[in-house]
Amino acid sequence: MPARFQSFAALTGIVILAIAISPAAADGSRVFLQTGNLTDILRQISLIGMIALAMTFVILTGGIDLSVGSILALATSIAAMCLTRMAPGMSYPAHIALAIAAAVAAAGLTGVLNGAVIATLRIQPFIVTLATMIGVRGLAKWITQNENIDIGFGRDVAASFAALFREKAIVIGSYALAAALFALVLARTVFGRHVRAIGDNEKAAQYAGLPIRRTKIWVYTISGLLSGFAGVLYAAENHQGNPNAGVAYELDAIAAVVIGGTPLSGGRGSIAGTIIGSLIMGVLTNMLRLKNVDSNLEMMIKAVIIVLAVAVQRERESA
Amino acid sequence: MRRQLLAALTLASALFSAACGTGNGKRQLLVAFSQANNAEPYRAMQNALMQKLWAQYPDVKLVISDAQQDNSKQVAQVETFIRQKPNLLIVAPNERAALTAVMGQAMEAGIPVICLERDILQPNYTTYVHSDNVAIGRLAGQFIVDYLTKKYGQPKGNIVAMRGLLGVEGEINRDKGASEIFQKYPQIRMVADPVADWIQAKAKDRMTEVLRAQPQIDVVYGHNDPMAVGAYLAARELNREKEMIFVGVDGLGGPAGGIKKVTDGILAATFVYPLCVDKAVEIGNRILHDPAFHPDKDYTLDSLMVTPANARQMYDKFTVP
Repeated sequence: MPARFQSFAALTGIVILAIAISPAAADGSRVFLQTGNLTDILRQISLIGMIALAMTFVILTGGIDLSVGSILALATSIAAMCLTRMAPGMSYPAHIALAIAAAVAAAGLTGVLNGAVIATLRIQPFIVTLATMIGVRGLAKWITQNENIDIGFGRDVAASFAALFREKAIVIGSYALAAALFALVLARTVFGRHVRAIGDNEKAAQYAGLPIRRTKIWVYTISGLLSGFAGVLYAAENHQGNPNAGVAYELDAIAAVVIGGTPLSGGRGSIAGTIIGSLIMGVLTNMLRLKNVDSNLEMMIKAVIIVLAVAVQRERESA
Repeated sequence: MRRQLLAALTLASALFSAACGTGNGKRQLLVAFSQANNAEPYRAMQNALMQKLWAQYPDVKLVISDAQQDNSKQVAQVETFIRQKPNLLIVAPNERAALTAVMGQAMEAGIPVICLERDILQPNYTTYVHSDNVAIGRLAGQFIVDYLTKKYGQPKGNIVAMRGLLGVEGEINRDKGASEIFQKYPQIRMVADPVADWIQAKAKDRMTEVLRAQPQIDVVYGHNDPMAVGAYLAARELNREKEMIFVGVDGLGGPAGGIKKVTDGILAATFVYPLCVDKAVEIGNRILHDPAFHPDKDYTLDSLMVTPANARQMYDKFTVP
């Protein structure tokens, strides 16, 4: 049984538990199962879920990207600054497109930089992206002077941007689209095979003449782009550009990937698994919050679940 | 595999029954309080007082969530509260912009909402219970001017301000209120105003740099007590703490609060920034139990000056056991 089915079983178990212990609404239905609540969960996991999709590719190559949270913060800041402080004399849609493009492009460039340094200078991804995490956080704080860039609620271009991109349908839709695209690329394309091959055995991939350097640069670029887009959604959701946003998001994204059955050593794993990993974390949080479990206890329970989810998969592999 | 999964689930459910217990059948009023960050002493004190005051009403069940200073987390927690349809929702927003929309959703769902202490961008609340940071800034500024006038026979001297997180309402207005006063006296100079993000350790570092650069400082105005204390620690390390006085804002009770620092002779004064909780519970209770009651849109609470003269008395008043 592949790892993803096991994590699917774990998700099913947690969903059943969530239904079982969910408080009842006034009409006797389960609060957990209300459409509003279920879409809340999806929206809440969408941002880190998207980052986790790209993180899956990074981890499949045997790498890691610690800079995603900082890149997200940079993108929120750039998007909000473009929207609130620039008057390019364009129509609203063009101005919004420009802000998104600027934010995502800056994020993508950071990813290119990560990939290029890792692939050409052969420094460990952990170290390179750790440096980027620190440096880009500094950059985000520097361009904003460490201030939040508030997006108001009026009728101006920034407010229109926020109103549109905080729509549940847009946020969840973006996540669903990205998930489908990533699953397809990993399963059906040459690039996807290269990603897996590099993580499985880099030496062998090299002897086989696979484009290792190019693949690695792409993987980190994609990670940057997706973190940037998540940052755009964050700015809309929270009505602000925030240079302090996204702290520890890299850890949540890595947790989702690992719970989904992709080992940190890379080589094997799936997008479906990562989506399930994100869902497990989302459902778990929602279930505990609906029961008003003390938030410190919530962290402890999550810790247990993470280890259990991974342990169940390991057990099976060694058997 | 199945057996392990079963074991995992059993363990998880065991954790639950230990953690939350099941609700009893009695009809209770649910009050949900979304706290921005339990880790700040001011907010921990709010939680403690909230628990103590709501405990007086046996028909009320209070639940508190902690957003750990994370906007997204707080939005998610408020969303989850909305699903539970509480009889009253109290929100201490982490940041203004981020919480505005979701508090609007709560209002749309017909839940009475009390906005506690920090405002939001639109009036998406039933009532807003807060204090006035500009007024507090003015009080602190006037205290400092009076001190300097007494020291030199005229209002002159060098001031250092330790600033909180930039862009936050409390920081902007505590600065604004005091600056209004200082501007009236050209011989009072602000020689440095570093940003220490409300944090004592950062304030100590920033103050160390200021002390190296400034040979003469008369007053340190910390926009909160921990930063004033951090500045004091830096000055003491360089044996200069006698040269200047330290003034803070917040005036929390308890052994770790600013009032204790006044009785200890570390701070010359602190200005109480009200917890706002007693008023919020009073209003909230009337919303819950008196259908005819319509709260005002806005309740502004006054500050109090704490100096060595009244510190002991204030300590007892503001300490939540």
